[in-house]
Amino acid sequence: MVISQTNKKLSLCFDPVFGKNDPVLTDSVYFMDDKSPIKFETLKFYISGVQLFMNTELVWREKESFHLCGTDSDNKKIHLSIPASLEFTRLTFNLGIDSLTNVSGALGGDLDPTKGMYWTWQSGYINFKLEGKSEKCKDPKKEFQFHLGGYSGPNKSLQTISLNSVYKKEIEIKVDLKQFVNSIDLSKQHHIMSLGQAAVILSQAAAKCFSTQ
Amino acid sequence: MKKIGILLLFFLIVGFKDSYELFFVPANWPKPLYDFSKNKITSQKVLLGKTLFYDPALSANNTISCANCHSQYSAFTHVDHALSHGIRDSIGTRNSPALMNLAWQKLFMWDGAINNLDMQALAPIAHPAEMSSNINDVVNKLNQKKMYRALFYNAFGDSVATGERTLKAFAQFLLTIISANSKYDKVIRKEEKFNDQEKNGYQLFKKNCASCHKEPLFTTNNFANNGLKQDTILKDDGRYKITKLPSDSLKFKIPTLRNIEFTYPYMHDGRFKKLSEVLDHYIGNISPSKTLAAELRAPIVLTSNEKVDLTTFLLTLTDKDFLFDKKFSYAGFK
Ligand code: HEC
Ligand code: HEC
Repeated sequence: MVISQTNKKLSLCFDPVFGKNDPVLTDSVYFMDDKSPIKFETLKFYISGVQLFMNTELVWREKESFHLCGTDSDNKKIHLSIPASLEFTRLTFNLGIDSLTNVSGALGGDLDPTKGMYWTWQSGYINFKLEGKSEKCKDPKKEFQFHLGGYSGPNKSLQTISLNSVYKKEIEIKVDLKQFVNSIDLSKQHHIMSLGQAAVILSQAAAKCFSTQ
Repeated sequence: MKKIGILLLFFLIVGFKDSYELFFVPANWPKPLYDFSKNKITSQKVLLGKTLFYDPALSANNTISCANCHSQYSAFTHVDHALSHGIRDSIGTRNSPALMNLAWQKLFMWDGAINNLDMQALAPIAHPAEMSSNINDVVNKLNQKKMYRALFYNAFGDSVATGERTLKAFAQFLLTIISANSKYDKVIRKEEKFNDQEKNGYQLFKKNCASCHKEPLFTTNNFANNGLKQDTILKDDGRYKITKLPSDSLKFKIPTLRNIEFTYPYMHDGRFKKLSEVLDHYIGNISPSKTLAAELRAPIVLTSNEKVDLTTFLLTLTDKDFLFDKKFSYAGFK
């Protein structure tokens, strides 16, 4: 597609951080509030349905809006092209994949099941995946694995995130993993691999970790 | 190895020459539930799907193909195995169901865990007791094989295998597995007639069984508790495992009864070897529980003659054309 002159670029850059500013690297050790060390090995999540608002009015929405994001450097940024004259005050997006897409069969691109974000024994996308290690986990390898998903009824884990921002070439969105792991007692809960109430609660906690400031 | 691949490709194509309708809706059947607009049937995609279905290279150690547990001569189930046998002789937790008329089904597996036929192949490929691999390894393997590059090119206009294309090709072959030419079908189409026993059996069936095993597919596609006592070792809760709703406890997919003569053993755990055992269950062994289906709460009464008649009717659901149709088979290669 040729981007016409009447369009401008907009990038959403998702930056995993620990606390306010500490960037998350997969080979570094971080310290929780109680001084216990923690490591992150995998962070992957779906961003879908990107929309821009001028105050309360919807002014733009991305078509076919599905993006796999995470700690891999090549999927930190979402590149968008919007009308040059467009101004906005707020952006919204979903953390996860909507229910219609979840029942639509095999899909390609970022939604291809080879991306490792699809459950095999029970159909459905994993919306948010965080894996790592902490001494607190009552697991032989001290590992934690949170695979959050579920698309229907009370198990629906999709979250809509709304952030204030005006136009900038690149909008930085921080994903604070410290806030997420602080919301969990890792000594009691280190492993969620299927849908259910626990996945819904943690999905809500994950959504709160996204911010533009 | 390469030679075998090319030979296989040759036979599959030759076996395909005598062209047939790839997908059709039999007379008087409802509209299919599968969304063909996203995966239009073509002979090249069906051929790719069929090749995948019969290829043991999809399993971790190249020994198990889909057909190991779903063989055509038993309407694509695993005859004689109550619980399915997979890789390195591991035993699964459920009986492999017969496969047919899948385009008319919305949810798959005994508990409805799979929400779209496209996604079905992911489960056995990844299951540690079935093929013990994963879709990434499968796609990588396919991309390394000349034979598959040609098959993918013919099917998708591009030789690269992706997860999406592989899964869609699997679904294409599965969609073509249609059984609609049993004696029962011929009677409905007024091409043949039931004898007196079959006629009486049909009446008994309509009275006692058809509310769940509804014509013409012999299932309503719903989940029901048909009064099987829960196995104390397997402790299978059925649909509850997926929805976590107490009202779904012990409910299983209502299976089709087409080709039932050949799909033994019966039920999700293969507990019954013979149809007579199934009938004895419905007549006298219903186990009461909160979710037991309403129509089975009062006992079904059948005399021994009526049992014979009902069985005779069930045997009219056998579709020999389907069981031996070359278009579904491994066509000459073995
Ligand atoms: C080791 C044996 C085994 C292998 C190999 C296997 N299956 Fe199955 N299949 C099963 C069992 C067992 C079930 C039912 C599982 C359940 O309900 O939990 C099943 C269920 C299915 C169903 C759902 C049918 C329905 O009516 O709900 C389809 C379709 C299917 N398999 C296709 C395939 C395909 C395609 C492959 C190859 C990629 C395959 N199977 C490989 C044992 C196997
Ligand atoms: C309330 C709904 C219901 C009624 C009525 C019912 N069934 Fe079933 N039937 C089921 C369900 C559900 C299963 C699968 C149960 C399981 O495996 O846990 C089943 C399984 C079967 C099977 C085994 C199929 C297979 O592939 O393993 C046969 C045979 C069968 N029923 C025959 C009958 C006959 C004959 C009648 C009438 C006498 C009847 N059913 C009445 C719901 C019903």
